[in-house]
Amino acid sequence: MKVHYKINGEEKEFDIQPGELLLDVLRRNNYTEIKGNCYLGTCGACAVLINEVAKATCTTLAAQVNNAEIITIKGIGTISEPHLLQKAFVEKGAVQCGFCTPGTIISAYALLKNNPDPTEEEIKRSIDGNLCRCTGYVQQIEAIKFAIKLLKGGK
Amino acid sequence: MLKLKEVGQCFYPNTIEEAAKLLKESGEDTRIVGGGLHLTAFPNPAIKTLIFLNNLKLNYIKEIDGKISIGATTTISELANSAEMNGYLKGNVKKLLQSIASELLRNQITMGGSVAQREPYSDIVTMLLTLRADIVIHDGEKEIKTPISDFYKSNFRATLKKSVIKEVLLEKFDSTYKFGMKRFTRNATDIPLLNFGILAQVNEDTIKNVSIVVGARPGPAERFAQAEEFLKNKTLSKELAEEFGKFVEENVDVAGDIRVGKEYRAHIAGIFAKRILNEFMEE
Repeated sequence: MKVHYKINGEEKEFDIQPGELLLDVLRRNNYTEIKGNCYLGTCGACAVLINEVAKATCTTLAAQVNNAEIITIKGIGTISEPHLLQKAFVEKGAVQCGFCTPGTIISAYALLKNNPDPTEEEIKRSIDGNLCRCTGYVQQIEAIKFAIKLLKGGK
Repeated sequence: MLKLKEVGQCFYPNTIEEAAKLLKESGEDTRIVGGGLHLTAFPNPAIKTLIFLNNLKLNYIKEIDGKISIGATTTISELANSAEMNGYLKGNVKKLLQSIASELLRNQITMGGSVAQREPYSDIVTMLLTLRADIVIHDGEKEIKTPISDFYKSNFRATLKKSVIKEVLLEKFDSTYKFGMKRFTRNATDIPLLNFGILAQVNEDTIKNVSIVVGARPGPAERFAQAEEFLKNKTLSKELAEEFGKFVEENVDVAGDIRVGKEYRAHIAGIFAKRILNEFMEE
């Protein structure tokens, strides 16, 4: 069957098998910034925004989100034009191996889109589905707080 | 990783009547898909047909006739973040919802899916049983409203092969009602090894109209009638909380499994029972 998505602002059409996962379809079509790992929705490495909500693509069927708007980490910012969250993660040393980073930033981005001035508790809750096994969470939380500061300053 | 290899067709009905009709016509190897978490995390390779509920507009939380009506495809996050939950039972339901699983899963787990799966560890099922929710299903011709405890006493899995869950109804309890629920997990995002909920009306410190439910026993959530009887007409106090904790530990119907032993589960249940009553006194 065919599915249609708007990915990072571009209209796309893919041939899929009806039982395929969104993660597999996107990676097969070169959206390799989305990382696959647990296939249970528990690690968060494969998170993207689907119609503005952060979701795990490893537990989402590609057919289920036909016609959805999808934003990956590359839709938030690029190497040449990074988003403030990406800058803040680098600045605060919140990236080590980088495997979890796209998903974590997606979750943080979803939080700030709906709540530009979150409490620390809300920040922690927003990334509680993104597991990190090397950097740890302190730097990530600091980075999100730093990004909020930058966003408030209009930078 | 293609987990659902045999899926050959997908349907996107526009009405709940159409969804129920498709379900009846498509046979045993068909699944209704709300959030899709259970289907993808625990895939059944025999499934051949999927019916997606995306177009049914069952994504709502509204107040109707003194009840809070929650559409079947409403996610935990949507319910937790809704205005309706802010003051509901002093915000304790909202706090509970925010603590279940992780943000990415809360964004996917739906009310209808939780009710339909009735996973033994489900916090949502324990919560809905404690809150004496009603379940509304649609069989393609009419809506049928059933108290959730009766729904689970019936052959609900057979019913859901021919009917679609439309919504969950919560009563709007007055300010004399108190609600508390605790969940024990190995880490913050793991499935609970025990959950324990109490809803009670407390009038001038006298406890009435109590619902007590224990889930992840590790069997499915069940009402704890003995404990309800124990608390009925008692006066809320620290001594009662202490006594109640011991009673629960001695009488709760739990078992051991690979994760945690029977005695430990019973002990945790007793602690939760005591803590919830102590919190009721602080409210």
